[in-house]
Amino acid sequence: MRTVDRRWRLQFTPSDSVIIHLRSGLLRAVLFALMWWVLTDGAVDSWQVGAPVVLSATLASVVLLPPSSCSLTGVVRFVPFFLWRSLCGGVDVARRALHPRLPISPGLFHHRWRLPPGLPRVFMANTVSLLPGTLSAGVDKEYLHIHVLDQTGNFASELPLIEARVAELFGLNLVTDELGGG
Amino acid sequence: MIPSDYLSAALLIAGAVFFLAGTVGLLRFPDVYTRLHALTKADNVGLGLLVAGLALQAESWAVVGKLLLIWLLVLLAGASVAHLVAVAARHRGIKLWKR
Repeated sequence: MRTVDRRWRLQFTPSDSVIIHLRSGLLRAVLFALMWWVLTDGAVDSWQVGAPVVLSATLASVVLLPPSSCSLTGVVRFVPFFLWRSLCGGVDVARRALHPRLPISPGLFHHRWRLPPGLPRVFMANTVSLLPGTLSAGVDKEYLHIHVLDQTGNFASELPLIEARVAELFGLNLVTDELGGG
Repeated sequence: MIPSDYLSAALLIAGAVFFLAGTVGLLRFPDVYTRLHALTKADNVGLGLLVAGLALQAESWAVVGKLLLIWLLVLLAGASVAHLVAVAARHRGIKLWKR
């Protein structure tokens, strides 16, 4: 069962939806084929098994995880951002762990969602856990609950940036606070 | 040893340092939430560096792809499990440690 909040429903015409399904189906088929190639070290005769596997994996994935839009420029901008910030996250937590005085002052922070429900939120929650000083510790309809390692840090200004990058990745517009209301 | 071997060695050692720091964090941090911070972030970077170091020694692109795939799956598993553990801890009413 999928409940879609009216605020976030995108208006698609039927032909748009077909194109989106075809595009994401094709993209996933390419990714699964690449994965098969990697797992079999590129053995040519393995494709007798590989081709049906890739095809059924693609079908299963389109059925189980309905296609969402995804922007190539979003991906290109997200990957270096994520790699660099997660390296910073590792360095930060390693420094705190090894520091003689253990410089941490944990707290809980509640971030109001501006992303639509579904995959983008899951993606955001997982990303947050890997970036410096933040750990997602619960989600509900309105908020992402985040455990922060150091309350004096600048996580509050970083979260909207992460959220914007995730939105960009999925080719989405963020819901503004006025629309979010309540 | 050729230059890429030195680079590999440096990356592998750096990776091991992050794993060590993550484990020290697991032992020194005061509660479940802060320990999760240490595990997810330090191990993610540690494994990333190990994978980078090993990829330099790989014999084919398929092996590089396999290493990358391992890293991505561990990232996904680590982040998801950390989230689930944190959610379960909050459900049980485990209080945050405060300075």
